[in-house]
Amino acid sequence: MSPDSLGTLDGFLRLVRDDLGLVTDLAGPEAAGCDLTDLPGWDSVNLLRLVTLLEQESGRAMPVGRILEARTLGEIYALVEDLR
Amino acid sequence: MNAPGSSILGPPLGEPVEVAPEGTTWDRVRKDLTSYGTALIYARLQNLQPKLPKGDDLRKLLGRDWSRYLDLAHPDVRNRYAASRVLLKYAAGAVLRGDPDGLELAYVPTGRPYLRGCDQIDISLSHTEDLILVGLTTRGLIGVDAERTDRQMYGSGLGRHVCTPYELVTLAALPEEQRNASLVRLWTLKEAYSKAIGQGMQFRFTEFGFGPDGKPVRVQRPDGTTGSGDEWAFRTFVLDSGYCVSAAVYDAGFGTVLDTDITTMLDQDCVEAINTALDAEPG
Repeated sequence: MSPDSLGTLDGFLRLVRDDLGLVTDLAGPEAAGCDLTDLPGWDSVNLLRLVTLLEQESGRAMPVGRILEARTLGEIYALVEDLR
Repeated sequence: MNAPGSSILGPPLGEPVEVAPEGTTWDRVRKDLTSYGTALIYARLQNLQPKLPKGDDLRKLLGRDWSRYLDLAHPDVRNRYAASRVLLKYAAGAVLRGDPDGLELAYVPTGRPYLRGCDQIDISLSHTEDLILVGLTTRGLIGVDAERTDRQMYGSGLGRHVCTPYELVTLAALPEEQRNASLVRLWTLKEAYSKAIGQGMQFRFTEFGFGPDGKPVRVQRPDGTTGSGDEWAFRTFVLDSGYCVSAAVYDAGFGTVLDTDITTMLDQDCVEAINTALDAEPG
């Protein structure tokens, strides 16, 4: 992870791609708006792995309940932004 | 992992049966359903995919799921979606002795699938990597889940979001080489249970737990005390292919049903409403 992976949407998406190991050819707003269920390899284990990564990166506890309700990566990023 | 029959709690449950769309294994599935009230079925995507219907036949089989199928942009996601729904419909068609095309899958708001109009049979679906798993029961409720036993979960910080305090202590006391597979087992049990009760992950996994392998399995409270009775059965199986498969079955007291023909399993209120409407038609 870079020192501030969560500073930008691209950094957040890089974290999803590189640290979770999800293969996606999407980038930027297109990836952020993609339904989570349409991401190859996305599942509930990866959702909690992402929560863990975000907590490690931000040093804060993540609102797991609200993240579970998110339908897209963009919605998750918006929640992370709210905590910054 | 607990072998079939090793847990004496709740209704009995047979081992998962590997099936192909056209094959004789459906007899075993029907037998399991009449003997145990529950059947577990699985297929490998690589084996199932070449046999899937295509074009208009797939559209007919998917029914209302067709539009969702078309919305999925990525081919892998789309193919797995189709394969899982096709297997579920073949399974339901086999045990109900009905035409899979004529069965309609519907979903509750939490995403839990059900067979519209056939509320005496409950269904559950799981897919991971190239495994598709289906559970069917006439006993009450069912939830199923599968993961690879070697999927890395322990030691990555996930435990804090998955386990109760009691489970964390229990896992840490295990020999190191057993911890990951044990956490995968706990995960699949929790997923199966939360699917059965229709909650998904909204029911925080840290709020309920399961005991260690090798003993009768019950739901536990976060401190490890027992939280469920004999009405629930939990089983975990490890397939030769390396998948850990768990099932949670709630016995509502209906017992086993010897006749699972679709004409028997239709919702009686629904049938009566249709008959009344037909009788009221002029001429």
